[in-house]
Amino acid sequence: MKKFINDPVNLTAELLEGLEIAHGDKIAVQSEKLVVRATPKDKSKVALLTLGGAGHEPALSGFVGEGMLDVSVVGDIFAAPGPPKVLEAMRLLNRDAGILFVVLNHAGDVMSANMAMEMAEKEGIKVKMILTHEDIAPGADTPVEDRRGLVGCIPLYKIAGAAAESGKGLDEVYEIAERFNNNMATLAVAMNSATHPSTGDVLFDLADDEMEIGMGQHGEAGTGSTKILSADRTAEVMINSLASAINAKKGDKVMVILNGAGGTTLMELFIVLRGVKKVLDDKGIVIVASKVAELLTVQEMAGFQMFIAKMDDDLLDLWSAPADSPYMTVR
Amino acid sequence: MILSAVARIRENHEILSRLDSATGDGDHGTTMLRAMKAAEDTIKDNPDEKTSDLLYKIGWGIMSADGGSTGPLLGSFFMGMSEAVDGVSEFDSSAVAEMIIAGAGKMHKQSRAQVGDKTMMDAMLPAVDALRAADKGATVQEILKQAAKAASDGADATKDMKAKFGRARNLGDRVIGHKDPGSVSISLIFQGFYESFTN
Repeated sequence: MKKFINDPVNLTAELLEGLEIAHGDKIAVQSEKLVVRATPKDKSKVALLTLGGAGHEPALSGFVGEGMLDVSVVGDIFAAPGPPKVLEAMRLLNRDAGILFVVLNHAGDVMSANMAMEMAEKEGIKVKMILTHEDIAPGADTPVEDRRGLVGCIPLYKIAGAAAESGKGLDEVYEIAERFNNNMATLAVAMNSATHPSTGDVLFDLADDEMEIGMGQHGEAGTGSTKILSADRTAEVMINSLASAINAKKGDKVMVILNGAGGTTLMELFIVLRGVKKVLDDKGIVIVASKVAELLTVQEMAGFQMFIAKMDDDLLDLWSAPADSPYMTVR
Repeated sequence: MILSAVARIRENHEILSRLDSATGDGDHGTTMLRAMKAAEDTIKDNPDEKTSDLLYKIGWGIMSADGGSTGPLLGSFFMGMSEAVDGVSEFDSSAVAEMIIAGAGKMHKQSRAQVGDKTMMDAMLPAVDALRAADKGATVQEILKQAAKAASDGADATKDMKAKFGRARNLGDRVIGHKDPGSVSISLIFQGFYESFTN
């Protein structure tokens, strides 16, 4: 395994130390596993909380900051943090305005979140949970419980974060987030595997001439491997599925994100985006917001997640509202 | 009893990780090591704690070890056991059985998996059945022996199953031929419980 690490046992602790050094103006690490805003938000506003394993940097903690997350609870590499730290974060953020708790659908995260929610309820902490599950790889008829939450959480943090920052109440922030949540879709593609930094194991196998559409962000199997397609053909196949998944029609406005998995160049992502726009132009679907970046990576995995969401003027205003986090800033 | 389970896991953690490489991301062994260390530290730090509080603290400590779904599941097992022994002073075979059954019940609520889904429950539920079916007059050692055997057989049976839960679920047929590491961990824990009464 060729990585710049020390003893794998200290991975998360050391990466968080480095994160705090790099972005101490915006975030701080508290209680070893909580990434919090350096300057907390006013208590009169709804707070945003999330949890997730490390190893996906800059996600999730890179999005703590003004106009986005208030606290990110960090677990071990690719492993959800336990209920105790989540409850600690809820107690820290406890306020009359309430907390919006964004959870990505993965078994460990959901278990931990549910247990923390139970305990929070007993303590009278006002918190509403929203579960993201926008992965369309398992197929159109798959129930929500079986769909993973992928990069869609990041634009959701931005949109809900803007709503919270503007002073909207918890019910309204939740309603806006849920609306966005129910009209977004992600599909991933993998070209080359990554190694798990703790174990040194390769996450999955792919032949030199193969790619796999639908792979999860810990190497979970997708729809099966296929021969490598051109960028245009890959873009076409993926955006067709995605547009269909959110029922995007002629005249609709959408957000498109190409999220690099860590081992794919921006060069490739720009070429793919060009292919995506061609298909959407043909369909008369308008891209009103886009982003090409590494937001939620999978170590050095080659591949990307393609994301689409239906937009309206209100959502666009929230997406464009000011935010200041280490890896997403809007002026 | 618990320290014996800790020892069993310690001895076998590499096997657990190897199984998890085939069915997940390869970290189950190290996760269990952390969970068991948390349990051991809790026991060391609370020498005079009454049993029910100790079991609760162990459960909470395991959950603090940040082990994905392993933490909440195993932690619930100990918390469930803690609830069952509140006020119990005599740990005869009936009390021990009740304790473990309660722990399994709390864990099952989090897990929602059944036998055949290729999870920890494939070892846990048969162990519970063995405890329920045990002779009224059997000793603690005897019932734990039967539970350990049932758990071990249950874990073995997971070898050719497809996974219905967790990360392994997304691997389809690739997990066939490999036992579920979580079920092996549960089996080792029961082995540890039994062995603590034979030394």
